[in-house]
Order: sequence, then structure tokens, then C-alpha cells
Amino acid sequence: MASNSDLGSADFETLASTSDVELLKRAWRNEKAAPEILPYEAALIERAKGQIELVEENIEDYVENGIDPLVVSLYQMDLDRTQFLLRSYLRVRLLKIEKFMFHNLKSEEAESRLSEQEKVFAKSCADDLAKHFEESVLLKLPENYQSVLKQSLISEVDDMVPQPHLDTFVVCRSKNFVSLNLYEEGESPETVEMERGDLYFIRYKIVKGAIESGKIDLI
Amino acid sequence: MYGRKGYQLVKDFASGEKGQLKPFNSKLFDETVEECDQNHHLIQSLIRKMQQEGLDVQNNRNADHYGALIHHLSLIRNKRCLMAYVYNRAEIVRDLAWRVGLELLDLPSEIQEKLTTLEKEYFKNHSIALKSYMGKVGIELNVDMVPPKDPYIKVRVVEDIDEGIVLSDKTTNFARHSMHFLKRTDAEPYIARGQMEELTG
Repeated sequence: MASNSDLGSADFETLASTSDVELLKRAWRNEKAAPEILPYEAALIERAKGQIELVEENIEDYVENGIDPLVVSLYQMDLDRTQFLLRSYLRVRLLKIEKFMFHNLKSEEAESRLSEQEKVFAKSCADDLAKHFEESVLLKLPENYQSVLKQSLISEVDDMVPQPHLDTFVVCRSKNFVSLNLYEEGESPETVEMERGDLYFIRYKIVKGAIESGKIDLI
Repeated sequence: MYGRKGYQLVKDFASGEKGQLKPFNSKLFDETVEECDQNHHLIQSLIRKMQQEGLDVQNNRNADHYGALIHHLSLIRNKRCLMAYVYNRAEIVRDLAWRVGLELLDLPSEIQEKLTTLEKEYFKNHSIALKSYMGKVGIELNVDMVPPKDPYIKVRVVEDIDEGIVLSDKTTNFARHSMHFLKRTDAEPYIARGQMEELTG
């Protein structure tokens, strides 16, 4: 790092923000603040897992080689933090799957955002809850009213499935200049322009696309 | 009045402390199910009556049609209330799996008493799903619930814990009221079960 003393602070910032830990932190923060489940960061998670293993091995080596315990504990602390990020990231996702389990399996878009293991989890989650519903309530009701997803046989759509509220407001910061359409198509067009670093309190739906493409971060 | 029982059931849940279970109100629950049955019988008898009068049940809009509709709506409302009751309790049950432990025996007996047999069954099934996910991913997710500040924390043993628990870096005798300086990840499961408490400050 020292050899690059002429590196501007802005450049350094961009460089630092591409390290995996920073990326993981960003993914975790976005996931925590978004009302719906975001696409699974498969490659990033794999890299993070690999790095955690590497650091764990290094720490063991340090202990064996009798390196200063203080230094080791600093490494350990850094490791703990990264591990917390990883665990919390996966945990937040599982909690969202639990919350919207029927929705996640019903909508292809939502399902495509899950990792393979998460899909399996979502499936067994939904099966278990459906079974629980049937045994506690539904089998005791008249035949036409036994569906988990519909209020009764005559409901045309699934009207008993909780869905994420995409209209909810989120706090976000833009990383680049972006211009967003405030309303959906068909309504009167009105755009909002965000400069780099601007803070906004805005409906999730509007920034959804920009978050997925990495132009905006949730905080 | 139709629909009141369901409303009382939901209210019974809502009046509890957030995140805390009350005993399953099976009396009110069964009465609500009973009301659904009544509604259903009345719908059917009204439809039969219309059929006997030779009316087109689908399209006719006479008093009997609206009578049946009222029963249908009451039934749907009761169904939603029953489902909401079970669903919200199931949410707490899942939360227990996360916060307290994945084995039914991990749960304190005063919580176990409040669960119905079906809810215990659900708890087991859901724990299996969680365990299988963690197994496949290879990461334990039910530890490390709060952001780490320090890798080691000070704890006091509150309840007698079986001797000789092997922690990742040492074995100790955890007599009650003894104080230890442990790795946070090692101590967390015991804190969750109320067997240790963290000493702060």
C-alpha cells in the first residue's frame, strides 16, 4: 500500500470498496433493509467462505508458531466480524424466506433469487407449515374452504398469501449519478435525479432496479 | 353474532406480550370451528331450498342467495381468524427455534407447556429443515446473533451445567455462580438457554 502514496483518496476509496469484505457488508446491508429477498450473491459468498477458511488456518498456524497472542487475537477479531457478516447475511435471507414462504415458491421471480439450498429450505418450510395448518385448522373446516392459499374454492386468485410490501419506504445512498422514474409506466412521468452520495428516503419499488444493478445502496 | 368468536380469538392472541406465547385457547378455537360448521350447514340448506324451488342457484339473486352469502362471508372471516391465530403462533414457534435451540428439549418447560402437540410437531419439523440447511451450507447460523465487539466475554453460570463441557479451547468445571472468561461463540448457546448470563460493564 505504501508504494502507492500518490493514490488519491477517492481512488483508494473505490479500491477499498471492491474488497470482498466490503462487498459482503454491502450485500448484507441491502438485504437487511430491503423488504423483499434480493438475488443470492453466490460467487461472493463462495469467496467469503474460502477466505474465512484461509484466515482460520492462518490463525492456527500463528498459534502453533508462537506469534504474539495480541496479534493473533486481532486477527481473530477481524475473522469474527467477517463471520458475523456472513452468518447474518444468510440468516436475514432465511428469515425472509420463512416470512414469505408461500410467495417465494409461487412467484418464479422470487424463487430464482434463492440459492439451491435456500430453495430446498423454502420448500420444506412451506410443506411443514401447510401440514401444520391442515392438521390444526383446515381439515376441521368444510371441504370447499380447506385450501392454504385460497379463502375458499370460489376465490379466483390466491388471496391468503402474505407478500412483501414493495411500496415501503427505504433510506438509500446513490453511488453514481442516476435518474429514476418516480411513477410506474402509464402514469405521468416524473423523474428524480440523484447525484453521487445523495441520501434519499424513497419508495423501495422505485430504487429496486438500481439496487440490483449496484448503483444505489440501502442503508 | 357471526364472526365474533373469530375476532375474540385473534384478540386473545394480540393481547399477549409480543413474542411471548400464551396457552393455546382451544375452547375459543373449537367454538370458532363449530361456528364455521354451522355456517356451512346453513349455506347448504339455503342452496337446497333454492334448488327445490327450481331456481338457478348460480344466477338467482333472491333473499336466500344473500342469506347464503352472509354465511359464506362469516365462514371466510372465521377461517382467516383461525389461520391468523395458528400462523402467528407458528411464527413464535419458529422464533424459538432460532433464539433458544433446535431441540425440543432445549426449550424451557414453561414454554413447552404452552405448545400444543401439533405445534411441537411443527417445531421439530422446522428445526429439521433448518438443520439440514445449515448442514449443507456448512455454517452454523444460530450462533453469533449479535455483532461481535470482543471475541471474549465474561459470563456467570446461573444454572448447574453438566461438568466437563469441552469448549473450543479449554475444558472447565462450570459450577453454579462461577464466573468465566469465555469465547463469545462458545458461551452463546448457554446464554440463550438461560444457563449463563453475560456480565457487562
